[in-house]
Amino acid sequence: MPKLTIDGIEVEVEAGLTILQACEKIGIEVPRFCYHERLSIAGNCRMCLVDLERSPKPVVACAMPAADGMIVRTNSEKARKARRGVMEFLLINHPLDCPICDQGGECDLQDQALFYGMDRGRYREARRAVPEKYMGPLIKTYMTRCIHCTRCVRFATEVAGVPEIGAVGRGERMEIITSDNKAFGSELSGNVIDLCPVGALTSGPYSYAARPWELEKTQSIDVLDALGSNIRVDSRGTEVKRVLPRTSEEINEEWISDKTRFAVDGLKRQRIDRPYVRVNGRLRPATWGEAFTAIGRALEGVSGSQIAAIAGDLADCESMLALKDLMEALGSPNLDCRQDGAKLDPSCRAGYLFNSTIAGVLAADACLMIGTNPRIEAPVLNARIRKRWIRAGLPVFQIGPEADLTYPARHIGNDAGLLQAIAGGRHEVAKLLKGVERPMLILGQAALRRPDGAAILALAREIAETLGMMKPDIGWNGFNVLHTAAARVGGLDIGFVPGSGGLDTAGIIAAAGGGEIKVVYLLGADEIDTSGLGSAFVIYQGHHGDAGAHRADVVLPGAAYTEKAATWVNTEGRPQRSNVAVLPPGEAREDWKILRALSEVLGCRLPYDTLRQIAIRLRDVNPIFTETGQVVPAAWGDFGAKGKLDATPFVPAISNFYMTDPISRASVTMAKCTEVFVARRDEERTGTHA
Amino acid sequence: MSIGTRLYTLLRGELVGTDSFGNRYYRSKGRRLHGRERRWVLYKGDAEATTVPAEWSAWLHHTAPQPLMERAAQARSWQKEQHPNRTGTPAAYRPSGSQLRTGVHARTDSDYEPWIPE
Ligand code: SF4
Ligand code: FES
Repeated sequence: MPKLTIDGIEVEVEAGLTILQACEKIGIEVPRFCYHERLSIAGNCRMCLVDLERSPKPVVACAMPAADGMIVRTNSEKARKARRGVMEFLLINHPLDCPICDQGGECDLQDQALFYGMDRGRYREARRAVPEKYMGPLIKTYMTRCIHCTRCVRFATEVAGVPEIGAVGRGERMEIITSDNKAFGSELSGNVIDLCPVGALTSGPYSYAARPWELEKTQSIDVLDALGSNIRVDSRGTEVKRVLPRTSEEINEEWISDKTRFAVDGLKRQRIDRPYVRVNGRLRPATWGEAFTAIGRALEGVSGSQIAAIAGDLADCESMLALKDLMEALGSPNLDCRQDGAKLDPSCRAGYLFNSTIAGVLAADACLMIGTNPRIEAPVLNARIRKRWIRAGLPVFQIGPEADLTYPARHIGNDAGLLQAIAGGRHEVAKLLKGVERPMLILGQAALRRPDGAAILALAREIAETLGMMKPDIGWNGFNVLHTAAARVGGLDIGFVPGSGGLDTAGIIAAAGGGEIKVVYLLGADEIDTSGLGSAFVIYQGHHGDAGAHRADVVLPGAAYTEKAATWVNTEGRPQRSNVAVLPPGEAREDWKILRALSEVLGCRLPYDTLRQIAIRLRDVNPIFTETGQVVPAAWGDFGAKGKLDATPFVPAISNFYMTDPISRASVTMAKCTEVFVARRDEERTGTHA
Repeated sequence: MSIGTRLYTLLRGELVGTDSFGNRYYRSKGRRLHGRERRWVLYKGDAEATTVPAEWSAWLHHTAPQPLMERAAQARSWQKEQHPNRTGTPAAYRPSGSQLRTGVHARTDSDYEPWIPE
């Protein structure tokens, strides 16, 4: 291991580290623009120059490997002068428009010019101006500000795997453009906004909306896919202004998907802000008391088995638990959190988790995808798989609709029968999977939602067992279920599933349509067939006026994920907590509180009054809630049910990445993205574009 | 105005002029302070500095040696008439969108769009 001296401090670092990384190890800051720890090294901004003894010129710290005996000075007169010079050159063509630039206040160039630059410019000649480029509805460009660090180019090529950003021209004439001047078509495109060290790429929807120092920052988690990406919610007053990623090595590194980042404008539209009660066939505004009384009246003389509850995709664990307890008190066994009808087996936890963990993907040696398209269902996870493919050429096999995953994948067919062949070892892929140390499979919701979902689940278990995906001795469990709903794992963990003799989602809807079920409680469940509920009395609790609320007889206004402190469990089985960034609008309340208040009116008071008490109850129901943010490995067991397979091909679990839930469906930005990207993809597929 | 000011004005002050609001402007007779004469105003009614018109303000602050009467007489078309500060009165300025102006809450950025069932 090379030993070197930096600013008089002797330090020993692993071979292969650069001088800049060595400096970071001992807490010395070296200014930089182009270097980013998750991207390849470009070494083209020259801001990281340091003074190296016995080198006639200063060297770039980000690209120079640390070697034994080096004596580095980051703060000598020579280094300072070099940096000042580089900064002066960068500022030659950079407009001094900080007062009207959205990056102002969080700009690397601004900060570093202050600390490392000159106090005046000497350049009096003509400056360069660059025309604006179109990058789509999400990214706003101001290309005169670009300092050619190429971070955006490297991100697009390396992490996103959509090499649509590039540079043309050389030297001062270099310009960053997208190919064909089209929108940057990656589900992770918003991350280039964070990466751009200056204000060349800024957020379109957030443009001129606020200044960073006016915003209140709340650490929270995302619920628009099942990964539970760590986010920071920036709000001002009563409004969520934007969402940024928080670094989390286990889940999202420092990326988030475009839906996570840009769907927040949906939080301001179509909000249910007061209770409603249906009177003479029309929903009328009501008070909380009137709404509760109406529910009480509807439940009069109705027996427990005539009541049912369905939890939606965004429901938090606290409210699901409160609803489950309420249903138990009312004597109803009919409850289900799998509103899409996925045949997930709640009896064995390992059977519905992403057991390898997201970070564990980096250890996988081969991957079989069954009825899933992680690029659409979990773009951040897809970036992880892509990272593994870049590092070690991960072989990927795909069963399901053919899709571009941003890395090569062998499409072996779209037919559940293939699973039998693989499980039986008759398919060549079986050998390839068995031959490696850590094979994994990813089972998508598209495969589980089918009528033969339970049989596919059992087959997947068999594949995992027979093809060496279960290796407890080396701590490897390669069986993974990729969820699309943030609420699903939490719902299964607290047992929001039919009790003995209870009906599941399909059963509830059929029974409600047939008149056997009289009252249905929808906890944010919008993606069900609401027209099939017949004449049942429907209670909808949620935050957006979507399908569920339109059908409801009583609407109770709940809180969205940025408005409540609640727990969600991500697809790996990691419980995480959100925090209150803004208050719910109007009369809306946190969801578990609504259920607690309702229980009192119904005469079966739930035994918790505070968030703490319900957290304790949550812990009693399932000990995994004890450790927030930790994954507890689940014990392997028996799950799924053998059965006949369907011959129908798999269909994608999500047809439009940009609109999957009530929040993103209400978002104007997501509607624009749908228009631009989904339409474009259809065009490319059918070849009808000019 | 205090007795002291009144007495001082009576003994030492020399009336220079009166403006349209009825404020009277004085300067000291003979006595100089820091090398220049003293100039002051006795307000008509409440002491309200914004009732001093520009032509007198310039003189009062020793910006001009004489009140700028001729300049004030040839006011440009874009010059607005002097009026005292109206803050706190019913005529106070209310920016557009102010709830005090229209009595209704104007839409702002941070409003949400409620769901209205059809
Ligand atoms: S647009 Fe931003 S990230 Fe891309 S090269 Fe220019 S400065 Fe770097
Ligand atoms: S950070 Fe080293 S050259 Fe850009």
